[in-house]
Amino acid sequence: MKIEKILFPTKFRQSALAALETLSPLKNAGLREVVLQYVIPRDEVGFVPFGGYLKDEEERLREETRIRFEGWQHTLAAHGIESKIVIEVGDQVPSILATAEKEKVDLLVVGKKHKTGPEMSFVGTHTMQLITRSPVPTLVSKHMVEYEDGGGELVRCLNDRIFERPMLASDWSAPSKRALEMLASLKNVVEKVLVCHVIGVNISKNLDKEGLHRLEKESHARLEQYCARLAAAGIAAEPHLGAGKSALEIIRLSRENHATMIVMGTTGKDRIHQLFMGSNSHRVAQLSELPTLLVP
Amino acid sequence: MKAALSFLLVMPGPAFAGGGAEMGTSLPLYSVLPFAGMLLSIALFPLLAPKFWHHHFGKVSVAWAFLLAVPLTVAYRGAAVYEILHIVLADYVPFLILLGSLYTVSGGILLKGSLRGTPGLNTGILAIGTILASWMGTTGAAMLLIRPLLRANAHRTNRTFMVVFFIFLVANVGGSLTPLGDPPLFLGFLRGVPFFWTFNLAPHFLAAAGILLTLYYFFDRHYYRREGITEAPDDGVKEPIRLEGSYNFLFLAGVVGAVLLSGMVHWGEVSILGVHRGLQDVVRDGLLVFMAVLSLVFTPRTLREANAFTWFPIQEVAILFIGIFITMIPCLKILQAGAQGQLAFLIAAVREPIHYFWITGLLSAFLDNAPTYLTFLSTAMGGFYPGVAENEAVMRLINENPLYLLAISAGAVFFGALTYIGNAPNFMVRSIAEEAGTPMPSFFGYLLKYSLPILGSVFVLISLIFFV
Repeated sequence: MKIEKILFPTKFRQSALAALETLSPLKNAGLREVVLQYVIPRDEVGFVPFGGYLKDEEERLREETRIRFEGWQHTLAAHGIESKIVIEVGDQVPSILATAEKEKVDLLVVGKKHKTGPEMSFVGTHTMQLITRSPVPTLVSKHMVEYEDGGGELVRCLNDRIFERPMLASDWSAPSKRALEMLASLKNVVEKVLVCHVIGVNISKNLDKEGLHRLEKESHARLEQYCARLAAAGIAAEPHLGAGKSALEIIRLSRENHATMIVMGTTGKDRIHQLFMGSNSHRVAQLSELPTLLVP
Repeated sequence: MKAALSFLLVMPGPAFAGGGAEMGTSLPLYSVLPFAGMLLSIALFPLLAPKFWHHHFGKVSVAWAFLLAVPLTVAYRGAAVYEILHIVLADYVPFLILLGSLYTVSGGILLKGSLRGTPGLNTGILAIGTILASWMGTTGAAMLLIRPLLRANAHRTNRTFMVVFFIFLVANVGGSLTPLGDPPLFLGFLRGVPFFWTFNLAPHFLAAAGILLTLYYFFDRHYYRREGITEAPDDGVKEPIRLEGSYNFLFLAGVVGAVLLSGMVHWGEVSILGVHRGLQDVVRDGLLVFMAVLSLVFTPRTLREANAFTWFPIQEVAILFIGIFITMIPCLKILQAGAQGQLAFLIAAVREPIHYFWITGLLSAFLDNAPTYLTFLSTAMGGFYPGVAENEAVMRLINENPLYLLAISAGAVFFGALTYIGNAPNFMVRSIAEEAGTPMPSFFGYLLKYSLPILGSVFVLISLIFFV
């Protein structure tokens, strides 16, 4: 699972270019090309009430975007990375997913929103739709974030070296294994991988002490297998076992061990399941201040 | 007079409830200015300041509505509040629910497949759209077929005339057979015109659609030959033609059934905020919303995305029409007062069915056709039955002078095609065509090059055949 081609859709929010630059180390792991995409919202130029279509406005937006992207292309070229521009009118989510499919990218990188609202989520509705529906690994990039720590204090966090200490949170599923393989391909990028597993409340509550010990032992063994796979790829790795509410425990472990990114496997959930049950990977993407790479 | 003075000075006038007829005789002529302003805004802003209009049309609509509602309420107090609530609850809300449900349900149907635009196929698509329009609304039929038509003809050099005829037929003329087809006819239905009475427009529909389809075929054949196309291009990708989300036709049948039901039964009345509404109408609105919800639940999101479905057009209609409906209250009231009202000169001038056909039509072309229909329905009722309750006046008009209602209906629906601003789907079709790279004529280009020469001739023929 090498990352050779990345799709980077943007709305030109603050620090979008800085977020793009954090991907440049991937050049050492085989990154060749970045596809820069801007979707002009159809409602911005189309369906003028009783009017029609603002063709001039579309052309102006295209030119404005092209000029901005050309600056970004110079930056990427300085890192030795090729790039391509896609500017189109449409709806954000379907346009991005269609481009990801058409360009056959290996990674989709999406931005965060400001952590606001009662849920205090870093993931907006568009990003949530993308990470739920994307058939390719999706990185929720969070270059500069502010969040409240446990004591209610506002903490500012700059995620500029995201590939240094990624933490792979595994539930031993097939997507988790694919996430492991993706990390294994990043030999010249990653310093150390933290491999963790959380014995979730849903499982531990049904086990007696003996059963729990058995599960703990088994989990340690699996963690060692993951670490061994990474070691075989030439990447240092250390195991961590946690217990409790999965999403919160993963975030706690990531903070305690100074992770720079969280990597998780994710299963596609349908709309109804997503609405009522959610998923741990999506929850982590929403709540963690760290960039989150979700591998389907 | 006192009420009129109160309106002018923005001072309290007589308070009365349900005194609509009395209001019509006392309202001054200038009370229709916000309505004129609202309609002129719709006509002129998209031409003169499209970017401003695109971003601020909601504020413009609300401003005109307030400009009417505040002084009217100050002058007529309870009666004004009643009239505003009445037009919102009895006309605006059902109108919006019907449009919204038809738009939602038809947005869940996707026509896929490798269509290759030939004169025969294109004429067939237009004919199907023309027939469907009366059953799924002109907006629904237009949204269903415009993208497949554009895709099928992507290889053709001349596509503009196709979209223009699509606007003529699918977005307008096709909607003339049922109250579901075009908003003016649904407003007529809400005022008591029976559902199946609209079938009386079938001869007019057949004449107009027949002439336009024949003309279209020969236009297309001419361009097809001139483009030197001997056979459809084979790009190697052949996808069988199929309808996805066709179960939405069931929900569409539910919409038709709900509207029919409300016209056939009388279950008594309920009072909502003091406005009496037939229980069957409230049930109909509930069923329409239910059909839209079913469509949303059962139609996969990807299918709507493939249709480029967006709520924006229906939001626009909702925002603009609240302004239209509120500002049109004085106009309707004055016209309903007949010779007693300030628009007696208009009622006196418009006497024959042919007058109604052309005046309703021409105003529908440059204003929106829904309020224009209501205005001239009120004019006819004011002329024949001044002071008579609305439902009774409508039934008497149908029984005693049906040609007038036919002329108003045909004028409102057919002439909506004369300009881009005549009917809501016109601008949606234009927008989609331009986005897809089909050059469309300007407002005046459309009018002078296409609609006046083609539709003008058709309407003269319709007048001579049916209204002289």
